[in-house]
Amino acid sequence: MSAANDWLYLDYAATTPVDREVAATLSALLTEDADFANPSAVHIAGRRAGVHVERAAAQLAALVNCRPDRLIWTSGATESNNLAIIGAARYRSDRGRHLVTMPTEHKAVTDVYRALERQGFDVTWIKPGSDGVLDPADFEAALREDTQLASIMHVNNETGVIQDIDAIGAICRARGILFHVDAAQSLGKLPIDLDTQPIDLLSASAHKIYGPAGIGLLYLADRPGCHVEALTYGGAQQRGLRPGTLPVPLIAAFGKAAEIAAARMDEDYRHLRRLCDSLWAGIRDVAGLRRNGSETRSFPGILNVGVDDIEGESLLLALEPLCVATGSACNSRDREPSYVLRALGLSDALAQSAVRFSFGRTTRPADIDFAAARYRDAVARLRQLAPVRAA
Amino acid sequence: MSGDQYDPYGPLVRALFDKTEHAGEIAGGATASAEGPEARVQLFARLDGKTVRRLSFLAWGCPHLIAAAEYFCKNHEGLALSDLEAFDVSEIIEKLPVPVEKTGRILVLEDAVRALQDVIGRGSSDDRQ
Repeated sequence: MSAANDWLYLDYAATTPVDREVAATLSALLTEDADFANPSAVHIAGRRAGVHVERAAAQLAALVNCRPDRLIWTSGATESNNLAIIGAARYRSDRGRHLVTMPTEHKAVTDVYRALERQGFDVTWIKPGSDGVLDPADFEAALREDTQLASIMHVNNETGVIQDIDAIGAICRARGILFHVDAAQSLGKLPIDLDTQPIDLLSASAHKIYGPAGIGLLYLADRPGCHVEALTYGGAQQRGLRPGTLPVPLIAAFGKAAEIAAARMDEDYRHLRRLCDSLWAGIRDVAGLRRNGSETRSFPGILNVGVDDIEGESLLLALEPLCVATGSACNSRDREPSYVLRALGLSDALAQSAVRFSFGRTTRPADIDFAAARYRDAVARLRQLAPVRAA
Repeated sequence: MSGDQYDPYGPLVRALFDKTEHAGEIAGGATASAEGPEARVQLFARLDGKTVRRLSFLAWGCPHLIAAAEYFCKNHEGLALSDLEAFDVSEIIEKLPVPVEKTGRILVLEDAVRALQDVIGRGSSDDRQ
């Protein structure tokens, strides 16, 4: 537990605290004596604010190796996904109305595709294997002559499974299909090279990389046929694709967070690997435990486990003061078991017992020892409380 | 602002869930159970004449169910058998309190209490024969 809190935060996949340097960057641009102006204005204050936006775009572009002018600022990955998917589907609808995605994508993708289905688009939902990994051959088999767009996430937010976006993107490129990647969980954590990787649209958020919530980006490749229709109207900012006054402090903070992430990526990855391996080693012999998602193709910032015959909501309460996410989703006021884990073939009972631990820069090895002990104790206690199931 | 207003569990549910003093089996006592899709409850009782001397439970389910089972045992131990017969689950639902979407699970506890009464009743009539 941190010195400041009496709880132990292990929910970094949901959101991260703002890095102090990032917070300083943000707060330095808020007040009258700062470069607070509208960066679209041509006066001196506007031009000065614009410098911060340009710097941030350069910092983000350096992180993913693309041209800064290919980035569109949004309010976060949810908006980016909406703009990418709806915008691209509509832009290319005269060529075809078939789209492809997976049922294990984030709701910010699946709900958008469902909305498009209701608007007459035809969506193929490809299931990954029971380890959460999508076989590129299965992906290719789902494509049709009229397929226009595919969305496959880089790192799954619940299981940490990493998809083979290079292979899938290459298949899309060969067929002239736009390839959209939700990189909310991977930006700044895994290498992304948009100059060489076959990605047309990429969504991300600042708050997953120690930046503030409320700012994100959409990358739009500079290729023929790669474009999106605007979803909102009200100005010429960002080529009219996403109008509205740019939030300079948030953008500058996002840029700073990206710069720090780029500098620390290897160090962060090694740290997360140690934590993840340590937690898994500390709980893997719990009877009836299973790891959800591939062990070999997964991002070490996330460890998702389920256990036989344990009620998820009680497990979550028994785990306090750990702040973790659960597959029962009772904590998120949604009583359905995780649709991601159900798509991997887990029963409702096993899905609702799932716990997602996710780690961050400030997580310490001692925190992991505490979490492992807490998990073991909680499972043991709930098992002791449970009556034998009737035959 | 502590965030407590967003806590799905009141202080009583937390206290009962954290300290399940009546969890476990009573060897040789009366026992009965009930089960639903999201809840399982087994109750144990040791009687002393017409008095419920000890009560305990085992439960599988959400925190509200476990807290309700603990509450029931804690508040009915030492009472007369007739008080057990007068048991009304709505008291627990109100006291904890239990959100409306979970009342179905708490009704499993009520089923277990009724089943326990049946077992005790059968034992009493057996005694009379």
